[in-house]
Amino acid sequence: MRNDILFLAEFSAGKPARSALELATGAADLALQSGGVAVALAYGSGAADGASGLGAHGARRAIVLGDEDRPAITYAAVAVAAVRDADALALLAPATPNGRDLAAALVGTLHVPAFGPVRAARVTDGVLETEQATLQGNVITTARPTDGAPTPSIALVLANTFTPVEGNTGSAEVTQTPDAAESAFSRATVAESHEADAKVVNLEEATVIVAGGRGVGGEGGFGPLRDLAGALGGAVGASRAAADAGWIPYQLQIGQTGKVVKPALYIGAGISGAIQHRVGMQSAEHVIAINRDPDAPIGDFADLFVVGDLFQIVPALTEEIHRRKGTEGA
Amino acid sequence: MKIVVCIKQVPATGADKRYTDDLRLDRNGVEAIINPLDEYAIEQALRLVDDGTVENVTYLTMGPEQASEALRRALAMGGDDAVLVTDPALAGADEWATAKVLAAALDKLAPDVALMGMASDDARGSLVPGAVAAMRDLPLLSYGAELAVGNGAARVRRLSATGFDWITAPLPVVATVTDQVGEPRYASLKGIMAAKRKPLETWSLAEVGLSADELSGAALTRVTDARPPEAKPPTERIENVPPAEAATKIADWLAARKLI
Repeated sequence: MRNDILFLAEFSAGKPARSALELATGAADLALQSGGVAVALAYGSGAADGASGLGAHGARRAIVLGDEDRPAITYAAVAVAAVRDADALALLAPATPNGRDLAAALVGTLHVPAFGPVRAARVTDGVLETEQATLQGNVITTARPTDGAPTPSIALVLANTFTPVEGNTGSAEVTQTPDAAESAFSRATVAESHEADAKVVNLEEATVIVAGGRGVGGEGGFGPLRDLAGALGGAVGASRAAADAGWIPYQLQIGQTGKVVKPALYIGAGISGAIQHRVGMQSAEHVIAINRDPDAPIGDFADLFVVGDLFQIVPALTEEIHRRKGTEGA
Repeated sequence: MKIVVCIKQVPATGADKRYTDDLRLDRNGVEAIINPLDEYAIEQALRLVDDGTVENVTYLTMGPEQASEALRRALAMGGDDAVLVTDPALAGADEWATAKVLAAALDKLAPDVALMGMASDDARGSLVPGAVAAMRDLPLLSYGAELAVGNGAARVRRLSATGFDWITAPLPVVATVTDQVGEPRYASLKGIMAAKRKPLETWSLAEVGLSADELSGAALTRVTDARPPEAKPPTERIENVPPAEAATKIADWLAARKLI
């Protein structure tokens, strides 16, 4: 239907990604404004069984593009067919590598408007209107499709732009996946898969992040940061300098070439705050920086800047939090 | 084996950036550079030349006439020749229009690999490579920490959620690489001198076989408002206090915001 709102619902390791729940709620919000319904395009392992569960977060219908964990671009042909069939007003995609690739394939095949990465989206005057921080956060722009542009408008949506609602009744009706012609995108295949040595968490899902940079000094320096993250129920991240040094896996790198995160609380320890790191975390709701250098750039945009030695302050803070929570470790 | 590296000229990372009254990027008096992430694509292409896998590297950009400076800087790092697509009808081009123009130019250049950086510093949509692949009906190998070519195929090492994969596709392909391919080389003085004599062609829209009509006024999107970001409250500072006191103050700050 012309008023429906599609969204890409990524699944991995048998479960929906947090972005799938956020976009289900976002798409449902927009559908209320447009007079349509939210429709999931689900892919990744667990999508076949889990797509109907997106109903709890606002999706009314779901189409399963594929049920394997592989680069999302390889689902492009069936995604194009599903989007053509759906004839929707807009499509929301997560601003992740997989979401961007699939969105790009849709834009290049269907010749539709693209926006993003956006930090807000709404339906105004019957079209998708988006808000974007551009030029490295120097300018906030509002944008729309040109008059008469084809639909759907496609928006890449940053993590935590929408807060998932829980407990809607009903499940999403899973409808038939359309047949798709062979496309060039399916000629790309996974030749080899390698597991990392250590288990890595998905930072995009974390609500609290404790990140370390060059000032952490080495692999062992992340120990106190892990303890603090543990006390706060959060995850550990890093700047590019720490990942390049091999102190922490690249999957935990935050910044322009790593993850773009938007946690409720970000604590940066020993991170100077270069622009490339900043664009990955500047949307965090609360930012605390701990740095020995009173002139570190991160001091210009943190909410709270603590000047001092992270190796003394971080353990003391961990202990204080345990004491107040009455938890183990005090 | 031939690679075309697509690059974009962007305002320098630290430059003071703003929009003009007609809601376009104000380029006046702003230092322009090669998009930093494109330099990794250049580096990757030149490494494949160094190891003898690739014979020819061409640079391609779309932009105003001064974007030829970015091409000269790329040629100073290495490579053979360059093409600038410039046309008054391209002012204000969005990602879709940019992809359409690059795809048309790449059809003419017909490389084995069209290589791009993973994102641009200014727009950060990362949509152009995938859209170009779709328009040219070619496979996309994206976010490579490394690109390898040989035996009629290209492969990229790509970070996965829990490790990494090697993704492969038969040539020709569109590929993007990350900043993990290795630090870009500096242009030597010799390289800068040599770049002045390397061929640099300028193509109009008509010369890549497109008309202004096909580009829908160079955009399917339009910016309706541009404004400075919301002012943040000033940073609170804790300094010159012992660690235990700093920890107490941070915990108070967190508690006041219901974060613990």
